[in-house]
Amino acid sequence: MPPRVQNHPVVNSLLPYLSSPSTSSSSTISKIPTKYSSSPSLQSTSRQTCRSFSSTVAARTKLRTEMFAWLNGEGAALKTHVPGSNNYVSQLRNKRRAVEGDEEEEGRRIVPPFPLNPNFLSQPILSEELRDAIYDRVVNQKQSVRVVSVDLGVDMRRVGAVVRLVELEKRQKQQGKSMALPYARAIHEMVPTTPLYRNFRDNRINPHESINDLPVHRLTDPQIFYPVSESCQFNRVDAGRVFSAAPALENKQVVKNAANPTEVISRITRNPSRIEKIGKGEDEQQVLQPADARIPHPHLVAHERYRLSNPNERREVMNAYKQRIREEENAEKERKRIAKELRERQITRVQPESSRFEFRFKDVVVSKETTGTNGRGAQAPGRRYGVPSYDRKKGQVKIPTRVEV
Amino acid sequence: MVVRIRLARFGNKRQPFYNIVVAQARSARNSKPLEVIGTYNPVPQRPTNLSDEEARTARPIKEISLDQSRAKYWIGVGAQPSDTVWRLLGLAGIAEGKSKAPR
Amino acid sequence: MRNRATTPLNRPKIRQSWSKYNLFNLQRLRNPPTSNRTFFQQKWTAKSMARAYHGEQVRESQWARMFSRRIRSVVPMNPLSLAQDDGSGVSAGRGAGLENPRERPSRLTPFSQMTFAPLERRLDVAIFRAMFASSARQARQFVVHGAVTVNGKKMRYPGYLLNPGDLFQVEPERVMFATGAPKDKHERREGRVTRKKMAQSQEAEAEAQEEGAAEGSGEKKESTSQEQDKQNENADPRETLKALLAQAKNIIADSKDVLPAKRKQELRGFQKAVKRVLSRAESSTVLADSLESQFSGLITLLKAKPAEKGDTKRSKRDQSSSKTTNVSESTPSSTTANDNQPGEALTEAFRQAAENPEAEVDTSELTDEEFDVLKQALVQMRDNPIDSTKPYATPWRPRDYMSAFAFIPRYLEVNHNICAAVYLRHPVARPGFSEVPTPFSEQVGTAAFTWYLRRR
Repeated sequence: MPPRVQNHPVVNSLLPYLSSPSTSSSSTISKIPTKYSSSPSLQSTSRQTCRSFSSTVAARTKLRTEMFAWLNGEGAALKTHVPGSNNYVSQLRNKRRAVEGDEEEEGRRIVPPFPLNPNFLSQPILSEELRDAIYDRVVNQKQSVRVVSVDLGVDMRRVGAVVRLVELEKRQKQQGKSMALPYARAIHEMVPTTPLYRNFRDNRINPHESINDLPVHRLTDPQIFYPVSESCQFNRVDAGRVFSAAPALENKQVVKNAANPTEVISRITRNPSRIEKIGKGEDEQQVLQPADARIPHPHLVAHERYRLSNPNERREVMNAYKQRIREEENAEKERKRIAKELRERQITRVQPESSRFEFRFKDVVVSKETTGTNGRGAQAPGRRYGVPSYDRKKGQVKIPTRVEV
Repeated sequence: MVVRIRLARFGNKRQPFYNIVVAQARSARNSKPLEVIGTYNPVPQRPTNLSDEEARTARPIKEISLDQSRAKYWIGVGAQPSDTVWRLLGLAGIAEGKSKAPR
Repeated sequence: MRNRATTPLNRPKIRQSWSKYNLFNLQRLRNPPTSNRTFFQQKWTAKSMARAYHGEQVRESQWARMFSRRIRSVVPMNPLSLAQDDGSGVSAGRGAGLENPRERPSRLTPFSQMTFAPLERRLDVAIFRAMFASSARQARQFVVHGAVTVNGKKMRYPGYLLNPGDLFQVEPERVMFATGAPKDKHERREGRVTRKKMAQSQEAEAEAQEEGAAEGSGEKKESTSQEQDKQNENADPRETLKALLAQAKNIIADSKDVLPAKRKQELRGFQKAVKRVLSRAESSTVLADSLESQFSGLITLLKAKPAEKGDTKRSKRDQSSSKTTNVSESTPSSTTANDNQPGEALTEAFRQAAENPEAEVDTSELTDEEFDVLKQALVQMRDNPIDSTKPYATPWRPRDYMSAFAFIPRYLEVNHNICAAVYLRHPVARPGFSEVPTPFSEQVGTAAFTWYLRRR
């Protein structure tokens, strides 16, 4: 092991958990390393002399020597973390560059963890307070995931995950299971975190992540040459229809849609099953919808549109926004309820007293349509006859593909 | 010849899975039946997506899928369910009475 | 799978690992040369470099099956700009769109850096990315050894492909071992000795129980502790508190510069001092108990202190002792309460002390800072105790060079306290950013992607 050489302030694993008083302790910390920092060369020489007494053959190649020289010299800065800041290899390079000349290079920038890959950055994680705030809003204040997501600038899936994890944490605490608290503290010092601002508007202005990510649809992969007359307006809706090879909308319909775009979008987002379909049989698919309908928060577009049309009536805009969210939530609830009812209707549950099991009878249909002419249709119930099972074949993946909660 | 409603075993070793079939009584178990009217999974499944309280009272599940109208039709024309199938049909409310079918 | 993932120095390979060898290799990694090399050679080099990092534990044929040429990507949308125009501007004029001088050219999406995105779905890789293991190999071992659950069920396949929404959890002890500094020689020896002692004492206890002579020894111990209590009661409470504070300060100010042995001595001293203070409050039940109850006992004590006055001391003490007994009875519930706001109780106590002019000397002596120091020391002592039976150096500290590899990608949501994480979605590329952590440049990524397109 290389000797412990340190020439920078050292870790205090409690720092972010303390407020102001840490100054007193940190002042004492910073004095300690200076004692040692003067004598790295001394230590390394002493170690080498130790080595010469050893009778075993030293497995010390040139590269190995180089490595330890780097680890003890430049790389020593990476050995321990500095609370509240990143400590990556690329920072060393920046430092070197700063020493060589350009002073302005040394700004507080986001540094990629890997020096050769500027496309991957170490993005902040949720701070402990923000996580608690999310949990509190969803569970205690009964706010909807959508509202919390918009207010705090956190993706909806992440909100759900946070609630799940905090719930699990609470349960484990209650059961008295062991937790990795010092580890968690250390990680939160090493990795950048998104704080919880006192005013939640700041959280909305500096969001944790972009909440309106539009997934790139595979229909939009090919480039299509589609001539349109110059007198025609060709907008996102039309582009979606072109990509999914649907016929263009009739002029009447276009005019109708343009009159009330918000209404059109909300109709799509509330009844996703009623989107127009195109193609036949296996190739049947929904017509590609415009981005306004496919982003996670379509109501925000409606809100912005309303705000642009009524720039001076702030209160009314806010009220309309709340109203819209309420409607959205109700519609979602209704949709979920209907889907659940449908599922329930298909299944009859029987719990006989003589048995400790529950029997679930699901209704299926056996007919010419489902079984097909040769009786091998995929929609018919039961394992197929005359179809070999490949599960003992080489190369078949046998590990489970999902685990139910 | 008697037409029976019975089970045909599929699945793997120690992992049974049955088709509920309508077949001639003397035909082999897994030969091609007259009709497949459903499936029966005798391996109890653990219920999922439950809250804590529900999980305490929940029972393990045995899944059956069945075309009830076809089952009724076949019984109507004199098909004889086997004991196990009789029990299952009884649970579904299609067949009644003792499971012992008159031989 | 090969047995070992080596990190050779002469032909450097970057691995999914936090070792210092890997760090050194990472630091001197350069793009492979492209001039005077054929395209095939370039692709081969790129592929071998990239595969040494991405899923080297996965067989090549297995990976080739997983590879997908379709790369997931997203575009962040701005609701305001969506509301402002319906997109007809883009196709305006003769199809090239209206010219917008304000608009900055959008950044390119680094698709080719996403070549190995399907591997990030694997359970072992996800565990490594969540920083629960110091290398992908170790993560794999955790899975195989049964320390990992997915959605609450034990999952023994490291190749399990996580689905969006899956929650995986590793045993916290394993994570502490994987990410903590290793024990040195002396600590290992200490562990051995304590283990031996424990075994012996257990044997002795068993014998004692058989003989029925356990009572005598217990009484003896109690009597000695009572003697100590008497001595301590004579001492000035102010002085003991000061001493306590000094020790607490020491603990917090200390870091790795100080020899671990010395640090341990200090910690032990502090522990003893805390015990002494506790024993003065006549809550002998707490004394024998674990650190948790000690901690809560001390907090209740500190809370009770300012309220105490000369006359009502007796009754208050009864209260405090009853509280502490309650605590020792229902440890889990009380600790959860304390975990949430260990500081609040203390600060509240301090506020009370400040409001009360006739408060006792020892509490009014404390400033806010000192109080915090004391609190920190207590928290640290409780959360991060010395325990030589653990497989890592105690008190826990992160292993060397861990921070150079510390990042958590966005497709995971991690709760480090319980070492659990949720796989939110598959990694995606977005303009100017790719979510697959890869140490290689776009040049290598593109060549590797082309290799797996199988057009060679």
